[in-house]
Amino acid sequence: MLKQSGYGIVIVIGLVLAALTVLEYFMAINHIGAALLMLVATLKAILVIYFFMHVSRLWTAEGGH
Amino acid sequence: MRIGSLGLVRGLVGYFAGLIVGMAVVVILRLALGMSAWDQEAVWVGGLISAIIGFLLGVGAMSDWLKWTRGIETPLHHGPPAGKPAWTRYFGVDYNHKVIGIQYGVTGLFLLVVGGSFALVFRTELADTGISFLQPGTYNTFLSMHAWVALASILLGVGGIANYLVPLMIGAEDMAFPRLNAFAYWINVPAIVTLLISMLFGWDSGWTAYPPLSLLGPVGYQMVFLAIFTIGLSSILGSLNLIVTMLMMRPKGMTLFRMPILCWAILATSIIQLTATQLIGQAFLMLSFERSLGMPFFKPIYDAAGVNIGGQPILFQHLFWFYSHPAVYVFVLPGLGVISELLPVFARKPLFGYRWVALSSLAIALVGFLVWGHHMFTSGYQPYLRVVFMISTLLVAVPTGVKFFSWLGTLWGGRLIFPTPMLFTLGAISVFLIGGLSGPILATAATDLFLHDTYFVVGHFHATIFGGFVFPFFAAIYYWYPKITGRMYNETLGKLHFWLMTPGFWLMSLAQMTAGTMGMRRRIADYDPALGVQNVQLLVTIAGFVIAFSILIMIYNLFTSAEIGVLAGNNPWRSRSPEWQIPSPVPEHSYARPISIVGEPYDYGLAGSSYVAMAGAGDD
Amino acid sequence: MAAITTAAQPTALHHDTHAGHDNYAAQLRMNRLGLWLFFISEAFLFGGLLATRFFLWGADTRPELDQTIGLIVTSVLLISSVSMRLAETAIERGNRRAFSIFILLTALFGLIFLAGVMVFEWGLFPSIYQGHLTPWDNKYGAVVFAMTGMHALHVISGIVFILIVWNLARKGSFSPERHWGVESCAIYWHYVDVVWIFFYPALYLIGNAVHIAAH
Ligand code: HEM
Ligand SMILES: [Cu+2]
Repeated sequence: MLKQSGYGIVIVIGLVLAALTVLEYFMAINHIGAALLMLVATLKAILVIYFFMHVSRLWTAEGGH
Repeated sequence: MRIGSLGLVRGLVGYFAGLIVGMAVVVILRLALGMSAWDQEAVWVGGLISAIIGFLLGVGAMSDWLKWTRGIETPLHHGPPAGKPAWTRYFGVDYNHKVIGIQYGVTGLFLLVVGGSFALVFRTELADTGISFLQPGTYNTFLSMHAWVALASILLGVGGIANYLVPLMIGAEDMAFPRLNAFAYWINVPAIVTLLISMLFGWDSGWTAYPPLSLLGPVGYQMVFLAIFTIGLSSILGSLNLIVTMLMMRPKGMTLFRMPILCWAILATSIIQLTATQLIGQAFLMLSFERSLGMPFFKPIYDAAGVNIGGQPILFQHLFWFYSHPAVYVFVLPGLGVISELLPVFARKPLFGYRWVALSSLAIALVGFLVWGHHMFTSGYQPYLRVVFMISTLLVAVPTGVKFFSWLGTLWGGRLIFPTPMLFTLGAISVFLIGGLSGPILATAATDLFLHDTYFVVGHFHATIFGGFVFPFFAAIYYWYPKITGRMYNETLGKLHFWLMTPGFWLMSLAQMTAGTMGMRRRIADYDPALGVQNVQLLVTIAGFVIAFSILIMIYNLFTSAEIGVLAGNNPWRSRSPEWQIPSPVPEHSYARPISIVGEPYDYGLAGSSYVAMAGAGDD
Repeated sequence: MAAITTAAQPTALHHDTHAGHDNYAAQLRMNRLGLWLFFISEAFLFGGLLATRFFLWGADTRPELDQTIGLIVTSVLLISSVSMRLAETAIERGNRRAFSIFILLTALFGLIFLAGVMVFEWGLFPSIYQGHLTPWDNKYGAVVFAMTGMHALHVISGIVFILIVWNLARKGSFSPERHWGVESCAIYWHYVDVVWIFFYPALYLIGNAVHIAAH
């Protein structure tokens, strides 16, 4: 059985993602280059993949949820 | 038994019903939007998409999934369909990987014959200068169809090898996702029908379908795009299934480095198919949309100031070759795996450098992603890219060389015997050598500038594909035939097949390369007598017919031997691989009990070594 | 232990080991791997579209799109991911009511996202909003429609998936221990969000907006 995740952490990650999106927007307004923007996007993607898609279940969970 | 109860028949009915419905829907939509009723591009695309879905619904490839969406559970049915003759299961949806493997393999052989006959048609035209019976447009249609039908046949043949053998070789009951497996096979069928329909309308660019030509030609292109997209979907789903099967379903004791070597080849192949295939799907989809909606991905549009605000044709070449170069390894890696699998059996010696061979498949697959630009030396991309792609391409020769040395090392000092599968294995090596040696000549930008788009390239890739796929595929067919049918093929006919086909092929590819160096271009219906290639061309045509004839001998052999061949027994080749430790033909549930692995796979001739342990199998 | 040349085989008809219910755990692990492999495969499709964008536009130009719309649809999709994750948490805790609410909310956010794309970016309904681009006039329109179109197709399939799962849950098909249907639907949805995480800067933020007069 996997450790159950709480509702709280989901909200926190959501807020972090929102903050990063706003950051992206202001980076773009200030013409900060493509590479850095893609870096922030990658960071967001990693957060989603790790916390929302719980990728680690691929190699940790022994079956059950 | 009613003919309408065959899945295939119901699928075809669904196909044509879907075609009509889809076309009608597009026409009605167009009228509703105030457009003219008929636009052949849009109407055909709509019709064909709906036709493919119609086929899948008709054949029943999605029935279980549709039930799942409504919460109905569907237990896996085993064995032939109730109340029908056993052979009918091959013509309908069946979830057993052995049935699906045969379906793949037989469809592949069928397409090989069809694609080969197209080649004979246009080869006959080329036997002499002047236009004899094929007008250039028709010639190009036959040539282009030959390529894609043959490529489809290879993909299906690879699917046949993989689906039939992988679960058997790892002692698994079936594939990880049996329904997905059946689905992945069946979507090929409407795709093939669609591809064949394209002939009625014609298309003339060759298999590469480069724009702008492919944007301008007849509507047959749309069918090709859709057909290839669908076959690509099959590759993706099939390879996904294979990867999961190999990673998750191996028996106790079978570490990755104790898998049969063919599985490694299939694993590497599947990685390519899973990923790169998306790019050709995308490229063909973009062509399709550019034709039907005018979205300018590839056609330049110049504004008043002379700036290009449209697309770029070269983008297509990048997308296309990002798949199509790795795809050539999809064609050959399984075949090279078959060679490595068979040689130790017939040399009664361990496979030389097992680990290196296993890893070389992966290396070829991965480096193969970085070399697509060697097809574009003359495309007009940045000149420095030529150097980059030349170096990366030549790097592929290293892992390929590893395989060659392993084969030599395995043969060296072996106690060789030469039944038909062994002959084809050796033939494969000799032919692949011809193809492999011509590769670096093309990979060197300086020489390729002269050889590009000549018959030299044609000679090169036929030698690689025959050496890497067709010969090993035939070897595999002869080798596993007794396991599949329980009977031996006719050895005399097998040898006859080999001794017609192999010299025929050597002759054909060397003659093609010669014609190329003499200035014969590819994809043209006619050539200048002053080139002096007439005799060479005649040779190619004759050799082509000899090869075709020899393949008919094989098909005859396969059909008759299934009835009258001598009973083969469980393990006629004295192989160590798991699939040979069970009865022939393989029973519905292949392994009565789970197997376990207790040693190295290829330790032939080492006293006291064993590979497979069959739990409770008794008394040996 | 039999040697490898063993031939004799009892002809058993059925694998009884496979009838057992502990199969679920093994199948679940295979399902997960299969789905992730599918994601890897699709990453090449979306990567190909991104490559197309950079090939045709370069890193220094982009179309004139409505920034407010971009920010709104991006936020909506992000919020939908949050609610989807909450739905999954709810089913893990056996809270079927909360699950229903959250997953329907997710579908609703998905629909809002779609509406945003279709009405505003695509300008499908000129009476509501006059779009900036058409698919056929130039490379900007073509690529914007290709990228958002392919993404929208995935959103639509995600919504259908959600509705199926919601309906199954209503019938009681899922339990806190066994809900692969919910899990797959959820991670598929997040995956579609991840794609947009890359598409958003590629379409809206990178490069300078170019104005092309319609011709
Ligand atoms: C030794 C490794 C290889 C090298 C260095 C190599 C190199 C090349 C090069 C440079 C070309 C482009 C020629 C041109 O169009 O001007 C080419 C074409 C081709 N090669 Fe290879 N190749 C190798 C192995 C293979 C293998 C294993 C296959 C497997 C089937 C293959 C299949 C093809 C095909 C199908 C084409 C023609 C594509 C077309 O229609 O234009 N090659 N090869
Ligand atoms: Cu290549």
